[in-house]
Amino acid sequence: MKYYYSRIIITFILMLAISLPAVYAEGNRDFMRETGKINVVVAVILLIFLGIVWYLVRLERKLTKLEHQTKDD
Amino acid sequence: MWWKALSIVLIIYTILAGMLVPLKSGIQRAEPAFAKAGEEVKFRFYGYNTFFQKATDAPIRVWLYYDDQFALAASDFKALNDTILEASFRFPQQLPERKASTSLNALIDHPVAGASLLPAAVYLSSDSLAQTDTVLANAWTANPVKQLHVQSGFSFPYQNVIYESIRNTYFHVPMWFVLLFLFTASVWYSIQYLRNPEPENDRRAAAFAETGLLFGALGLTTGMIWAKYTWGQPWSNDIKQLMTAVALLIYLAYFILRRSFDEYEKGARLAAVYNIFSFASLIPLLYIVPRMFASLHPGATGNPAFGSQDLDNTMRAVFYPAIIGWTLLGFWIAQLRIRYQRLYDKALGLE
Amino acid sequence: MHWKNLFPLLRKEFILEFRQRYAISGIVLYVFSMVFVVYIASIRVSPPVWNVLFWLIVLFASINAVVKSFVQESGARQLYYYQLADPVLLVLTKILYNTLLLLVLSTLAFGAYSLVAGNPVKDHLLFALVILLGSLGFSIAFTFIASIAAKANNSATLMAILSFPVILPILLTLVRLSSIALGLIQDTAYTRDIINLLAIDTILIALTFVLFPYIWKD
Repeated sequence: MKYYYSRIIITFILMLAISLPAVYAEGNRDFMRETGKINVVVAVILLIFLGIVWYLVRLERKLTKLEHQTKDD
Repeated sequence: MWWKALSIVLIIYTILAGMLVPLKSGIQRAEPAFAKAGEEVKFRFYGYNTFFQKATDAPIRVWLYYDDQFALAASDFKALNDTILEASFRFPQQLPERKASTSLNALIDHPVAGASLLPAAVYLSSDSLAQTDTVLANAWTANPVKQLHVQSGFSFPYQNVIYESIRNTYFHVPMWFVLLFLFTASVWYSIQYLRNPEPENDRRAAAFAETGLLFGALGLTTGMIWAKYTWGQPWSNDIKQLMTAVALLIYLAYFILRRSFDEYEKGARLAAVYNIFSFASLIPLLYIVPRMFASLHPGATGNPAFGSQDLDNTMRAVFYPAIIGWTLLGFWIAQLRIRYQRLYDKALGLE
Repeated sequence: MHWKNLFPLLRKEFILEFRQRYAISGIVLYVFSMVFVVYIASIRVSPPVWNVLFWLIVLFASINAVVKSFVQESGARQLYYYQLADPVLLVLTKILYNTLLLLVLSTLAFGAYSLVAGNPVKDHLLFALVILLGSLGFSIAFTFIASIAAKANNSATLMAILSFPVILPILLTLVRLSSIALGLIQDTAYTRDIINLLAIDTILIALTFVLFPYIWKD
């Protein structure tokens, strides 16, 4: 159950982070383009970081499940 | 392991250097963008990262130039602030060439910040065609462009439209390289599996493919973000976008294929065969797609991206370590995946 | 490799097809239905749309025609062939047979399609060549993928998923070549595209010969 909630939270944060630049772009067209489009770089780095973290969290969850399985045997 | 430490060091270096090194000075635009021959016109040049008001030992120099021979120096100029420069030009009666109109490049030379250039800044038109070559020569060749200053210290090239997002070169572009290396490793282990059907080879092929999928998806989405704010739209049938998308489809199909067999060995073998077959069939796209759609990526003409000539030495000093760092990180993650799968297979009694 | 086995195997394919007439009739009906759907959906078809729709019809008909080539025979009979013939020879006969089948199918599709949606083809010779090359390319790629998909249970779905990325280079070139034949693009240097297509076919057929024995051994 604990993992179920953490998964929801992580998915939520991830979706928020990905959609944030798009939301800003809709409401205020200049957010991504101001200060020499530096926010495009920020969005790209953030997305890469979150993508890798998401993969690692998934891997960790699989590992935990495996640990539980081997403990039961 | 030394290479894991190296990957972290290189990625930290990439992020620090990639974000902290400033951009070179540039000219965003000139106003007005049109002028008539024989008139005196006052232009405003809008600079980016410029220091027009910073006191220097040598004066700032401003030109509108046609080519190496024909250039026109500003008769008078004044810096309104650090980013706006007002300059007057007295255009001769004739154009540099016997044409009715031509476009001139703007060049501002700053003793400290170096020379910055705006191609096709001003469009100059004339009512009468040039009569004699001698008059023309004197008016346009009196103040040639020479002794330009080069900015000392590290800086990235300035590009209109791209601006600071040129830094994405160190974050988005290496994803493509990581994808290429990981998928190549996957195909390599698929070949190994067909030659020697050991579960370890299959595990590696699958893990490299999965990690490659991760980096491919990241490369594609980051590319779409970058493309939206530089090319105007997220998707434009570009060769690299198409190749990545097709590669992702191939490996998604690869994983579906692996899981549609009851016997492990059969699935692994057929997936290995498909891996090799589809990877090889991806290569012809490199020759076909450029014949259908013009590429916006560097190397193609007429695009608002940077060309290979713009990848200067400063950028190389960050770009190459970035590729190595991200690739090592990719292999690190793939290794974790392989180790997990090894444990999993052992727990299930497959070995 | 015993080349003299090629013709008996090819003959076997034809006899098998003739015995299971309902299968081939089904695919022909499929082609006609798709053409009819196109006709109902849009009565006036502009040449660019005509081009794309034609290749979509041929693509889906080809997938459906080829997917059965490995499923229709039982495992026991396949084992029998395996002992009897070289796998490379076996796959070669399948490819040859499927090329002929697809050629007939796409010609039929072209006939029916031009009947209901008009015939905007300007260069008929080039278009015929494109259909021939398309049948060959589709046949090579789909035969190989079908041999993989046949090993799984949900082969029809798997076939579509697996073949799409592989067929994309061929399909793109075909669409380009046929739009030249339709006069949509003015390009006289289309021999490059034909060479590209033949090169892809060569790569795929070489890979098929190398990899097919690994699929076949069970």
